[in-house]
Formats: sequence, structure tokens, C-alpha cells
Amino acid sequence: MPGHLYILVSLALFFIGTTGVLLRRNALFVLMSVELQLGAGSLALLTFARGLGDQKGHVVAFFVMALAAAEAAVGLAIVVSVYRTRRQIDLDGINELRN
Amino acid sequence: MNYVLAGPSLLDKIAFVVLAGSVLGFALLTITRKGAVAALMALIGAFCAMAGLYATLSAHFLAVLQVLVYAGAIMVLFIFAVMILNRDEEHPIALRGLFVRAAGVLATGYLFYRLAWLVVRERRTDVFSTAITLPIPEYGNVASVGRLLFSDFLFPFEAISLLLLVAVVAGVLLARPPRPARSSQSTDGGGAT
Repeated sequence: MPGHLYILVSLALFFIGTTGVLLRRNALFVLMSVELQLGAGSLALLTFARGLGDQKGHVVAFFVMALAAAEAAVGLAIVVSVYRTRRQIDLDGINELRN
Repeated sequence: MNYVLAGPSLLDKIAFVVLAGSVLGFALLTITRKGAVAALMALIGAFCAMAGLYATLSAHFLAVLQVLVYAGAIMVLFIFAVMILNRDEEHPIALRGLFVRAAGVLATGYLFYRLAWLVVRERRTDVFSTAITLPIPEYGNVASVGRLLFSDFLFPFEAISLLLLVAVVAGVLLARPPRPARSSQSTDGGGAT
């Protein structure tokens, strides 16, 4: 398939992810939407790697995957920690740094 | 690059339409579900379909890794988090500050529209040509990508392993239950405000 269709899918996926980040209040859903955005970036990387005939895009997509794992681990740990002290993970309710 | 002459076969088209449709459909389900478990299952479906898209781009190593790492490991992490803090929310979409959020979504939509327009206008350039003939025969398989990973990208590879170690330690430290009596540490959430 021509590559611009893949890029269009990637753009649409990034738009969906951004909408989720902006509209959802639950921190878990925001993290899931961030994962969607990272996946959209990986898809664009692989498409351009295919178009250019270069495998370096694959390596960068691999690094994005490892980065997403690290981000999910730290992000979910922060959410669990906040839930333990606040009894809520509503992002509108968490608006002060003071414990 | 002559993808106009050697066009995609009918099977390629069907596979692309099915996979792209399921990626976008599952992604929409993910951000619209009320329950966290349903959203997670939709996210797993989106990632599996995305692995299929990677495979049609002949990125076979990344397709397998997508299923293993994303749809496997990261989703297990999410499922454990949902298990700890499983609460149904009454209003999944924020009502307060809706105007600002709608403005943000509109701005993102405008960005999407402009980028999509640009991509469609420039669709004849060589960057977008996924020709039938692969640049090298072993393009995208484990040996080829792994050789690149351990030669040109050895330092970033080691750096990312260090990053993963730091993330694991940080996750353990953050998610550990707060210890009750440590006078030197006041950041632990002992007393409620």
C-alpha cells in the first residue's frame, strides 16, 4: 500500500490519543492515551523507514517501545502512589503539591 | 520507485483496510469506554492490529516486539494498576473547563487537518513509496535489525537499558506502601491533610 495512507492512519491515531489526553479525567485513561500517541509515532517511523529503505527507523521504534515501558512503569507507580494518599486519581482533583 | 506500476494486490488492500480500521476503531473505543478494563481490552486490540500494520510494512521484528512488549508486558502492568485502583467514574469526560479542553481538541484537529492535507498533497514523493521490491532481502528481520542495534546504536542501546533499570527502581520506590515511622522522611503520605 502507498505509504501516505499509513501516515494518515498514524495522524488519526495521534489525534485520537491527544483527544483522550485532553478530555479524560481519570489518570489511567490519560496514560493509555499517551500509549496510543507513542504507537502512532512508531507507525510513522516504520512507514518512513520503509519508504527510505533504511532500517534505522526500526531501531528508533525499538527505543520508543523501551521508553514506553519505562514511562508506563513510572507513570502507573505515580498514579498508585497518589491514589494511596488522596483516595482519588481524578486529574482535576489533584491540583496541589502539598501533602 | 514505481509503486504506480507495481501496485498493491487485492489481498494487500484488504489487509490494510481491515488492520487500519481496527486500529482506529479500537483506539476510539479506548478513549470512550467508561470502565477501565474494557478500555484496556480495546487498547490491547489496537496494539495487536498495529502489529499487523507493522508486518505489512515488512517490519517483522518490530511486529513481534509490539505484541510481546506492548500488548503483553505493558498491558499486564496496566491491568495490575486497574486491579489496585478499580473505581467507576461518574463523569468520564470532564465538564469543568470544558471550553478550554474543547479549544485544545479543536487546535489538535486543525493540526491533524493541515498535516493530513500536506501528506495527501505530497503523496507522490519517494518517501511515501512502499515499493514491492524490498531494499535488501532481509529487510526488517531480527538478524538485520539486531546487527544494526549492536553496531551503530550500541551506546543508545546500553543507555536505554540503564533507563529501564532506573524506571524499575523508581517504580518500586514510588508504589511501595509508605513506611509509618521515619522522622527524616516527610514525603511519605502518612497523615491525611
